[in-house]
Amino acid sequence: MELEKKKFTVLVSSVASDSHTWNLVFLQLLLEELGHRVVNIGACVPDDLLVESCRLHQPDLVVISSVNGHGHHDGARVIGELRSRPDLVGLPVVIGGKLGIGGVDNARHTDDLLRAGFDAVFDDSAGVDPFREYLGALGSLAAVTA
Amino acid sequence: MTRGVRDTSTAVAFGDFVAQAHAAGRLVVQPRMGFSDPGQMRSGLIATKLADATTVGTITLDSYTRVGANGEARRALDEGVALNGYPIVAHEPATTAAVVEGLRGRGFPVQVRHGSAHPEPIVAALVKAGFTATEGGPVSYCLPYSRLPLRDSVDNWSRACELLAAVPDAHLETFGGCMMGQLCPPSLLVAISVLEGIFFRRHGLRSVSLSYAQQTDTAQDEDAMRALRRLGHEFLDGVQWHVVVYAYMGVYPRTPRGALSLLGGAARLAARTGGARLIVKTVAESARIPTIAENVAALEHAAREADRAGTAPEGDADSAVYLEARAIVDAVLDLHPDLGRGFVRAFERGYLDVPYCLHPDNAGRTRGHVDGEGRLAWSRIGALPIGHLVTPPRAEGMTSATLLTALTHVERTFDSPQLERTAQMTPPPSPQVHLASPVTRTVMRIQNTALAAAREYLRDNGFIELLPAIIGPVTDPGGRGSKQVDVDYYGHRYKLMTSAILYKQASLLGFEKLFYIAPNVRLEPPETASTARHLAEFHQLDVEIAGAKRDDAVQVVEDLVRVMVDRVVTTMPGELEELGRDKDAFADLLAGAFGRVTHGAAVADLRGLGHHQSADAEIDWEGEAILSHKSSRPFFITDYPKGSRGFYDREDPTQPGILQNFDLIAPEGYGELCSGSEREYEYARIVARMRESGENPAKYGWYLQMVREGIPSSAGFGIGIQRFVRYLAGLDSVWQASAYPKIPGVVSA
Repeated sequence: MELEKKKFTVLVSSVASDSHTWNLVFLQLLLEELGHRVVNIGACVPDDLLVESCRLHQPDLVVISSVNGHGHHDGARVIGELRSRPDLVGLPVVIGGKLGIGGVDNARHTDDLLRAGFDAVFDDSAGVDPFREYLGALGSLAAVTA
Repeated sequence: MTRGVRDTSTAVAFGDFVAQAHAAGRLVVQPRMGFSDPGQMRSGLIATKLADATTVGTITLDSYTRVGANGEARRALDEGVALNGYPIVAHEPATTAAVVEGLRGRGFPVQVRHGSAHPEPIVAALVKAGFTATEGGPVSYCLPYSRLPLRDSVDNWSRACELLAAVPDAHLETFGGCMMGQLCPPSLLVAISVLEGIFFRRHGLRSVSLSYAQQTDTAQDEDAMRALRRLGHEFLDGVQWHVVVYAYMGVYPRTPRGALSLLGGAARLAARTGGARLIVKTVAESARIPTIAENVAALEHAAREADRAGTAPEGDADSAVYLEARAIVDAVLDLHPDLGRGFVRAFERGYLDVPYCLHPDNAGRTRGHVDGEGRLAWSRIGALPIGHLVTPPRAEGMTSATLLTALTHVERTFDSPQLERTAQMTPPPSPQVHLASPVTRTVMRIQNTALAAAREYLRDNGFIELLPAIIGPVTDPGGRGSKQVDVDYYGHRYKLMTSAILYKQASLLGFEKLFYIAPNVRLEPPETASTARHLAEFHQLDVEIAGAKRDDAVQVVEDLVRVMVDRVVTTMPGELEELGRDKDAFADLLAGAFGRVTHGAAVADLRGLGHHQSADAEIDWEGEAILSHKSSRPFFITDYPKGSRGFYDREDPTQPGILQNFDLIAPEGYGELCSGSEREYEYARIVARMRESGENPAKYGWYLQMVREGIPSSAGFGIGIQRFVRYLAGLDSVWQASAYPKIPGVVSA
């Protein structure tokens, strides 16, 4: 059988305290170029709106991006909200961007966010390649297990 | 509170003040300043008033107040936490009155700036404190910054306008000329600005200002300003109105020169095209909230530039910007007699549709891009009512990679090329002027300190300093098109050293760890004179370590660079300040490990950014500058492909074609500082590599004879001293870091 890469529905969102949007626009373009369908719910997304949107759009993947430096805090809270819903426990959710205000703390934030329930954390210092690789891996996995 | 009200009666009206200055030919300049501490806020206003320019004051509010979280703002004040602006609702009216006590008299109106889609409490508080001028708009303060439904923002702004209009001398500025800050073609900015001005008028305002934010192209910006003023005459006749320009609102240049140059462009734009007022940005804009002094410097710079600007030629009255903007305004006004409901309907139908705006009420079917000439253009127009005027390109103009390029178009235009162009235009002065200049003297003292720290570190770690050879029968074959200088040595053709590599390898026979501070002469192509990074004569801190691997050398480079930077930052803060070098520039360098990326990954990165980088060659100058700008700390590029480097860089035995070498690249666009590698040391391999790279082994007599008899394996590197000092001191050009600069192709002392 020929392995075909699966095309996802990806929900792109920021967190409640972050009003930046160019990062979300960039991710939308990137995901669309890779052939995925994107629902971009924008900036300053309250936690309950993110939960509702996950239920409404039934995405294959949720990509949260934040660049205001408070992402580690907002991210830990909102993933707790998502993971406390039985229907969203298994939904792949990743976060990336400038998640802290820099320096050595960012490594700690990555560990904390993974422990809090994210499937992957992409600190912006590593560029966008690790995120692309993650998408690629997720695609092949989906094709194998489908 | 009573004091605040009394103040109003003596204060000049905002709109009158600007109109009088405009009639007198003076551009009014204004900061975006806001501090939570009342004392600091007052100091900022006093400094603005006293600046050598025609100014109005600003009180910018904090983000808690903008979203109506006044409890949070009050808590922050109680806990002494600084906010990013002045919380006018949380502060007592008497406190605010004291901030402006005695300042708001004749000739210094103060405007309150915020950014709220819930403006009523703010307008109530500012009126209560005796202010009459503010800014915003139902569209421009809703779409970009809020999730509030547009319908609700329209209602909020209708009531806020009426509240403000009830006060004598009320003035309201539309923020419609900004919309996302970048990548929105000017016609839509102009249209929204005019429509919000009409909305204000219909809700009772008698004095308004229309805004336009500087974009990517001066000629297009001038068209937009003419269009905005013409539409002002067509639609706002009978009320007092003026045009305010915002200095660029997108990704701002990071270099002081680039930032000032962009601000100067905004000031000239306003002055040349009948703008009456300018909101400035500062040199600190890209990094942090600017200080009062940085604001004053920006105000005065803008005022000087405006004074010298002259007047733009008439231009085409029916420019594309005007025709598109007029079509949009007409279409929206036709939708409903109540413009507020017209706005809601216009966004539903896509008559107004802001590119890249993610607000749920924005259709999101338009896109803009920076075209080949650097102008903003439509790549998709969705349902905008300009189909008869615009034919967007057939190909989609924007990808994730080109989006990044487009967003940083202005920043890049004004940062690195600005520096390079400036360096090209200002050649070194005469030797006597250059050597006696305070800048040169400070830079040489910094160089002296850095070298002292390097020598100390190397000696403490077992290195011996040797004095380098200047001439020899053969030297490093070099790369990137540089030529060698011949000297006549008793009838033999000798060379000036292009690098010390051959002698370094020879010296390993007597010394395991050694270094030079060695002069090199390379006749670089004359076109490199404009890169700001090339000298024909320069020096390297040249290090070689017997038995070492590539990563050992990388570690020494990292330690050495950190030691030199640390010594200068610690012992010479005054000197760095004198040169305008922000010592925070080195925070990442001093705090942690340097970055590291392979040549292959760097090529992929550059291609992703739309830069055509060959996978088989050196990273080209432009590519290196792009990577350098992207990084906040120095980083290594490793594993260059064979063919891009000299025969002495060792080929990886496990990855044929890949060299075990590295370059160190400085951040902020300063580029390459250092090259190094693990070395080839076996005779047969060296001869083979020479042949592969087109070198004639016969020329390398003494060297090959020595290698045949055996030399130790080693790794080493050379740090370009002038380039390193340029980076340390934050200089525009590398020649400023040489006492006796020799610029490629330029005949000099």
